[in-house]
Amino acid sequence: MIEVSALHVQLQDKKLLADISFSLDAGDYLVVVGPNGAGKSSLLKAMMGIIDKSSGDILFHDRPLSGYSQRELARLISYVPQSSGRELPFAVEDFLKMSRYAHHTALSEWQPDDQAAVEDALRITNTAQFRQRQMTTLSGGESQRVMIAAALAQQTPVMLLDEPTSYLDPHHQVEVHRVIARLNQQLGITVIEVSHDINHAGQKGRQVLALTDGEAAWQGPGEIFLEQERLQRLYQQEFVFVTHPRSGRTIALADPL
Amino acid sequence: MSTTAKLTLLSVLTLAVMLLAPFAGLGDIADDVIRQQILYEIRLPRTLFAFAAGAGLALCGMVFQAMFHNPLATPFTLGVASGASFGAALTVLLGLNITLLGFDAMTLGAFIGALAAISFVYGISRLNYSFSIETLLLTGVATSFFFSSLILFTQYLSNINDSFRILRWLMGGLSISGYQSLLQLLPVVAFSVGIMIWLSRELNLLMAGDDIAISRGVAVKRVRYLLFFTTSLCVGAIVALCGPIGFVGMMVPHICRLIIGTDHRWLIPATLIFGGGFLILCDTLARLVIAPAELPVGIITTLLGGPFFLWLLVRSRRAA
Repeated sequence: MIEVSALHVQLQDKKLLADISFSLDAGDYLVVVGPNGAGKSSLLKAMMGIIDKSSGDILFHDRPLSGYSQRELARLISYVPQSSGRELPFAVEDFLKMSRYAHHTALSEWQPDDQAAVEDALRITNTAQFRQRQMTTLSGGESQRVMIAAALAQQTPVMLLDEPTSYLDPHHQVEVHRVIARLNQQLGITVIEVSHDINHAGQKGRQVLALTDGEAAWQGPGEIFLEQERLQRLYQQEFVFVTHPRSGRTIALADPL
Repeated sequence: MSTTAKLTLLSVLTLAVMLLAPFAGLGDIADDVIRQQILYEIRLPRTLFAFAAGAGLALCGMVFQAMFHNPLATPFTLGVASGASFGAALTVLLGLNITLLGFDAMTLGAFIGALAAISFVYGISRLNYSFSIETLLLTGVATSFFFSSLILFTQYLSNINDSFRILRWLMGGLSISGYQSLLQLLPVVAFSVGIMIWLSRELNLLMAGDDIAISRGVAVKRVRYLLFFTTSLCVGAIVALCGPIGFVGMMVPHICRLIIGTDHRWLIPATLIFGGGFLILCDTLARLVIAPAELPVGIITTLLGGPFFLWLLVRSRRAA
């Protein structure tokens, strides 16, 4: 359903992405990894229509991105930005309600299924208890879950998430990843997630796209991603590998020596 | 208090100001006929005119504050008003006497000046990949200075009559008589209000930042250009008719946001009502302070606005 081919993105003289190609089916889970400044966020922004591509194609359902109005696109894709959302001057529930924009025209009224979408999003992300609070009063972890809830309320078949766990403690990281996995597996939502967590990326059922300097350094299935030489080239860093004592999965650890 | 109650209270207060303002300072005129004449030919149109101008200025300020997520960003701080002033002053100097779609040369000049200023300021601040509000505000300041010296230059080239006319008009005043100016301003303000109400959901989302607004489905570029056009038209018309009246667009929407909240479906009517009432109040004050002479209302609003600006600055510093 998603087809990206030979995508180039340039901002003034600065090359952000060069020759990126991949394709995803409905229900796929793609994790985009790579060092800081590799162009991971730019990829998501280009797919959401936030920044313009210079050349190449982005197709959704065989139709180019430019063939969609922004409103149509927002019924297909939602986006969780990297920002924590704590600077936003809204109450949580109002912010979620604003996510229903694409399902409305200037004159249409708030509908029961709009409210249902908001309630579902609050329930799934476990944020209902602070629906009345101002975003500015939330903790980093709370507001990050609200940002995910707001994207969920948009009810799109595709979700783009830019480091959705970066502000979270270990417990909430696990929690949020469980939520995303459930959306992916139970609701069949196609997920593209930018992450620095290589062990999260290197799992069965995930696809990995590794970027360096705006170019695809490697892409393939998650279960073969964690490999000494590959990681070293990607991050300029030594890694050691251990086996998880309970799940038996391979875990990569950055080796400070 | 509920939002509806607050809005009702605001309306009642403004209505009271509107009803009382025309009578202020009218007591010492003994002749009934003259009293009636002053009331209906001067005071009433002036009050209505002040309402329309105040509402327009406040709403344009509100739109800029929402678009740039900063209470200091208004058509005045970003140089739009000085661009409009220069455009209008230039038409005085050149003695242009054309009308287009019912707008006179001065209004057209002001509109073009406003549009040129905002295109310039926004264009400059977008040159860098990393757009920052500081760059935007500083570009606005520089643009204001630039247009101010162009205005001085225009004045220098003008004869003594035109020069005084420009100077007096730059102070910002509402001394109109009859309904002519009101009829010129009203359609522009009404059109602008219509556009803003139509775009109130988009304005809400723009406050969340461009990235979020786009991802929620707002065609941000198109909305922004439409709002630039609308506010330039509105500010241009107001500036042409009563000069640059500063700070209304900064104070009113910010206070309304503190009272009503950030939802534009409520904020727009509140800003409209409060902006109108506020300028009537300032104008009445301007008439009374050194009666029987009167001050240009721009002096009053700027005297109030300067400290308010500083207060905002200190507050935002503390918050950051």
